[in-house]
Order: sequence, then C-alpha cells, then structure tokens
Amino acid sequence: MNDSELIKLWQTTNDKLEESIVINRENIEEITRVKVYSILGSMKPIKIFTLIFGILWVVIGTIVLSSIYLYSFSESNKFFLFSASIQVGLTTIALFVYLYQIITIFQVDISDSVIKTQEKLSKLKISTLWVTRILFLQLPVWTTFWWNETMLLDWGILQWVFTMFFTISFTVIVIWLFFNIKYENRNKKWFQLIFRGKEWTPLMNSIELLDQVEFYKDQNAST
Amino acid sequence: MDNKEQRRFFEEVIEHHKGILFKVARGYCLNVEDQQDLIQEMMIQIWHVIHKYDDRYKLSTFLYRISLNVAISFYRKNSTRTKKCMELNEQIIETLVEDKLDIERQLNLLEQFISELKEIDKALMILYLEDKNHTEIAEILGMSVSNVGTKIGRIKEKLKRQFLQLKS
Repeated sequence: MNDSELIKLWQTTNDKLEESIVINRENIEEITRVKVYSILGSMKPIKIFTLIFGILWVVIGTIVLSSIYLYSFSESNKFFLFSASIQVGLTTIALFVYLYQIITIFQVDISDSVIKTQEKLSKLKISTLWVTRILFLQLPVWTTFWWNETMLLDWGILQWVFTMFFTISFTVIVIWLFFNIKYENRNKKWFQLIFRGKEWTPLMNSIELLDQVEFYKDQNAST
Repeated sequence: MDNKEQRRFFEEVIEHHKGILFKVARGYCLNVEDQQDLIQEMMIQIWHVIHKYDDRYKLSTFLYRISLNVAISFYRKNSTRTKKCMELNEQIIETLVEDKLDIERQLNLLEQFISELKEIDKALMILYLEDKNHTEIAEILGMSVSNVGTKIGRIKEKLKRQFLQLKS
C-alpha cells in the first residue's frame, strides 16, 4: 500500500463518519456556561488546600518552636525540639514544591505546541517525586521526637539497641531514597516497585511521556 | 470579543471543525464511549482558551494543538482506558478478518497500528494521514520540519512492514 492509498483509506472512512456526527447544541451551550475549568482543574483545589493547611502548620509550628527556643530552651526536651524543628523545616521545603506546582498549573497553555505543553505537564507531574522524597526524609524524626533525657538514665542496653536499630535504619534508608528517587532511576526495579499501583499510574505515564518528549527534543537539536 | 460573540464563535468553530476533534479522538481511542468523553473534554478546553486564538494563524493549527494535548493528557490520566480500547480493537479485527471486506480490514489494521504507537508518534501519524504538510505538522507539534520528515519516514516503514507481515 503506497502513501496516497494510505491517506485515502483514512480520509474516505473518516469523511463518511464525520458527516454522521451531530454535536448536541444543548451540550455546547452547557460548556459555555462552565466559567472556570482547565485540564488541571482537578489538581488545583487539593494543592491549594494542602498549601493553605501546610502554611498554617508551618506558621503555628514556627511560633511554638521559636518561643521554646527563646524562652524555655534550657528546660525543654531537646529530642522533641530538634525533631519538630526538622519536621517543620522539611514541610516548608515541601510547600515550595507545591507552590511551584500551582504556579506551573496556571502557566500551562493547552493551545501551545504539543511537545512544549506535554513537557510542562509531565515535569509538573514528575515534581511529585520531590514531595515523596521530602515525605520520606521526615520519617526518622517520627522515631526520635518522643525520646527524653530520663531514657538516657533508665533504659537498658536491649531497649537502646532496639530503638537505635529503628532510628538508624530509617535514617540510612530515607537518605538513600532521597538521593535515589529521581527520574533517571525510573527503569530500576526498586523504583518501579515503590511506584507500582493505580495511584502512581499518572506519574509513571508522565515519566514515559517525558522520555518521548526528550527523545523528540534531542532529534530536533540534531537536525 | 464579548461573551456573546465568543459563544457564537465557539459554536461556529465546533460546528465547522468537529471533524478534527472526532479524528483525534478516534486516533487515541476506539471505544465509542471514551471517544465521546474525550470529545467533550476537548470542547471544554477549546471554550476555555478560545479567547487566546490569534486569527493571524490557522484555526486548524490551534484546534489540533488543543485536541492533541487533551488526548495525550487523557491517556496519561488513565492507561487502563487505552488498554481497554486496544483489546476491543483486537476483537473487532479478529471478527473482520473472517467476515468483512478487504478495505475495512485494512482500515482496522491501520487503526490498530495507530493505537499501538507511542503518544507523540500517534499525533504525528494522525496529522500525516490528515495530509497536513510538514511545516504545519512541525508547527502543531513543536518540532523541526526536517525531524517531521525523518519521523514520518520511520513510522511509515514500520507500518509497511506490518501490512506485509499480515498479508503474508
């Protein structure tokens, strides 16, 4: 089958079918009544809610922790204080990722060229990896915030070994994950194991799509 | 453009260019229900950005960009939808191989081939089959004209091999 036969085959069938399409007028009118909507519309509310909730958490956390640092540092439980400070610090970083995502959502132009738009959308989705990395990084502080100074005196060796085992293993694992959860490792088995499942499908599809976009961009550069 | 004029323009655009939406939807999904959902999503997006249309450029370029971007994003949200479409497609082909005419069988083979392409290759193939010139394809997709030629050549070679394989 040559080129013109191929094009003719596609067009004649589509032309016949096209004639039979009737677009419901009521449907068109309904669409024109939808005032605010975008392809990323569903992403906005949850991100804005998370951002507002996160800002509140960080503001309240900062006020409470600052007052402890300033007025009652010597009497405070240092394990709790430092663990909570790390947690609030990491949440602040995560908020910047959310802020970047919200700004990008507003900047995406669906009428822009396919490769440019899909690159932006894929990168936006893949930036979720940053949030995952930061969330993992918070894990060790949840194993230390409840420690206190009396533990140093009262605990036996076995209790310490058990507690330290958890904290050290968590720390090593999350630091490793922090440096390794990245786009470049998308084809590794452990990566696909972590991001397996329905909820991660859009992320994995975005990674796959970004591969295609990068491939096209490389070819553009070389031609 | 006030709201009334915008609405009238939108209705005209949809009425005269519904074929673009339909063809892109058909290229990305063969299941009729999914096609309808996709066309509706495309119409919503067109309405949302229609005020950005600059009449110094071709309206078809503007519409192809939106339809293809929506179709690809639609796929990304749910890959099981694509799988479902492909399974359905294979079933149709099996029946047609036994019962239907040669031209319909060839069309179904072509549709199956398109459905198996990667997302951006699929966009390229749809535009090629729509007989768009390389410059317009490059403008819609955002790639160089020479790259369009190279990529189309490779996809066509693959398609010819598949047609020959199935004939033999």
